[in-house]
Amino acid sequence: MDATLLTQMVIGALLGLSVYLPLRCGQLSLATPGFYAIGGTLAALLSTRVNALGGSDPLYPIGSVLLEMTLAGLLCGVLASGIGAVVLRLRGVYLAIATIALVEILRVATLNQEAMGGAVGIFGIPQPFDDPAGYAVFTLVLLALVCWLCDRLERNRLGRAMAAIRDDELAAACQGIDTERTKLVAFVLSAVVAGLTGVISAHFLNSWNARLGNFDASITTLAFVVFGGSRTWAGPVLGGLALTALPELLRPIGDLRLIVFGLVILAGPLLLPQGLINPALLGWLKGLLPQPPSTTASGEGQR
Amino acid sequence: MTTDLTQLLLNGLSIGAVYALFALGYTLVFSVLGVINFAHGAVFTLGAYFTFLLIGGSVGANGLLAGFQLPFAMPFWWALPLAGMAAAAVALVIERIAFRPLRDRGADPLLALITSLGAGVVLVNLIQLLVGAESYAIPTTALADLPPAIKLLGAQVRTVQLLLLLVAAVLLVILSLWIDGSRSGKALRAVAEDPTTAQLLGIPSARMIQIAFGLSGFLAGIAGGLVGLSVSIAGPYFGIGYGLKGLGVLVLGGLGSVPGAVLGGLIIGLAEACVPAELSGYRDVVAYGFLFVVLLVRPQGLLGRVMPTKV
Repeated sequence: MDATLLTQMVIGALLGLSVYLPLRCGQLSLATPGFYAIGGTLAALLSTRVNALGGSDPLYPIGSVLLEMTLAGLLCGVLASGIGAVVLRLRGVYLAIATIALVEILRVATLNQEAMGGAVGIFGIPQPFDDPAGYAVFTLVLLALVCWLCDRLERNRLGRAMAAIRDDELAAACQGIDTERTKLVAFVLSAVVAGLTGVISAHFLNSWNARLGNFDASITTLAFVVFGGSRTWAGPVLGGLALTALPELLRPIGDLRLIVFGLVILAGPLLLPQGLINPALLGWLKGLLPQPPSTTASGEGQR
Repeated sequence: MTTDLTQLLLNGLSIGAVYALFALGYTLVFSVLGVINFAHGAVFTLGAYFTFLLIGGSVGANGLLAGFQLPFAMPFWWALPLAGMAAAAVALVIERIAFRPLRDRGADPLLALITSLGAGVVLVNLIQLLVGAESYAIPTTALADLPPAIKLLGAQVRTVQLLLLLVAAVLLVILSLWIDGSRSGKALRAVAEDPTTAQLLGIPSARMIQIAFGLSGFLAGIAGGLVGLSVSIAGPYFGIGYGLKGLGVLVLGGLGSVPGAVLGGLIIGLAEACVPAELSGYRDVVAYGFLFVVLLVRPQGLLGRVMPTKV
C-alpha cells in the first residue's frame, strides 16, 4: 500500500479517536480541529523558526519532533482544561455549537496573525524522515498508543464512569461519580490526541495553514466516528481509515468523487445507525469466541 | 457624523436582516425537530444560483452546463420568489431523504447532523460540477428602473441595501403573524412543543414538519438571492460561511425562538458593521465571540426559554 495514503488514513483515525473520547461520556465536542491546528501551528513555528532544534543532520531530528509533541500536548492539555471547565457546562447541541465557534475563532485569529503564518501559511517544514514509510510507521505507533489508552478506558474505573455519564448523567452523579471532572478528563485527553496528531501532520504535509483546522474538518472528523460507530474505539479508527481513503480511492472518477463522498456520509447513518462496528456485530463476534463459563452466570445476575 | 452613523446603521441592519432570514430557517427546523439542518447553507447557495438563472444569467465555461441559459428572462421581482420556491422544493427533498428515515426509526438525533451535512456536501459539489467554481454576479440592472443609490437622511444609500432590509422585514412580519395568529401556525407551535401530543390532538405532525422545512428552504432561497444581488455569488461554497454565522445568530437569540432569531441577526449585523476597517480581518469573529459569551452567560439565548432537566 502507498505509504503516503496510509499515513493520511492513520491521521484520520487519530482524529476520529479524538472526537470519540468526549463522545464516550456523551459530550458532542467538535473542537478537535482547533487543537489539531494548535499542534500543527506550534510544530510549524518551532521547526522553521528555532534553529537549535534542527541539528547538523540534513534530516530533522526525531528527538525534536518528540519535543514538539510534548510541548503541543502540554499546551493543548492546559488550554483544554481551561476551556473545558467553561464549555462543558453546556449540553448537547449547545456544546457542539460552542466548540464550532471555538474552532472558527482560532482559525480567524491565526489567519490574521502574520507571525502564525497568516493567510499564506508556513512552508518548508523540515522532514524527520526521508521516506513516507517513516511517517507511516511513526503515526502507526502513535495510533497504537492511543488505541491502547482508549482500550484501557473501556475497562478501568474512569472509563466506566464515562460510560455511565453517557447513559445517564444525572444517575451517574447520584452514584457519586464526579461528572464535571470525568467530562473534563475526556475533553483534555481528546485535545492532547488532536494536538499530537497536528504536530506530526505538519511535518508530513510539509506546509501548514489556518484552513487545515476549519469547520469542514470538524464535520469530517465527526463523520469518522458516526460512520465507524461510537460504542468502542475500533469504530472511529475504522471510520477514520475508511473515510480518509475513500476520496483518494475515488480519484479516478474525478469531479464526481466529492458527490459520492457526500452520498456515503448521507447513506451511512441511514443504513447503519450505530456505525460499522455496532453492538450487533460485536455480539456476533463474541458468539464466535469460546464462552468462558462465568459470562452466563453474570448475565443471569443482571437480569 | 450623523450621515456616517446612518450609513453604519443601514449597513449593519441590511446584513443583519439577511442573517435573520437565514437563522429563521434554522430555527423553524430546530423548533420542530430539535436538530440543526447543516444543509441549510447549501439551500441558501442554491437560492442565489436559481435567482441568477431566472433573471436570464448564463452559466460560465467551467461546468457541465457551460453556456446554459434559460430560454426566458424575468425581472428580479419574479425571479426571487420563484427561486425561493425552488429552494423550498429542494429543502423538502432533503427532509425526505436525510431526516424522515431517521425519525421514522427513532434514531439518535445526532445522526441528522451527519446526514444533513452529507446532503449539503452533495448539493455543493453538484453545483460545482454543473456550473463550475467561478463567482457570478447578479447585475443590479436586474432591478430595472430603480436608481443604484438614493439619498436618505443625508446619506448615500445603495438601493440594494434598502431592498434587503425591506424584503426581510416584510417576510419576518408575515412569518410572525402566521406563527402567532393562524391556526396552522399554532399547529406548528404545538408540534414544536411535543410532536406526540400534537399528533394525538389531531395535528398532522409529519405534515407540519414538511411545512417547516419548506418555509425554511424558501427563506434560505430568498436570502441567497438577496445576497447574490447585493454582493455576488462567490462560488458553490459561499453559503457555508453564512451557515456558520447563522448558528451564531441562532444561539444568540435562543434556539427555536423566532423573535430571537430576528434580534440575534440584527445585533450581529450591527456589531459587524461597527468593526473598524483596520480590523476587518477579525469581522467574522464577532458572531462567534457573541455566541461564545452568550452560551456561557445565558445558554438559553437572549429570548429563549430555560428547559428544565427531566429525570
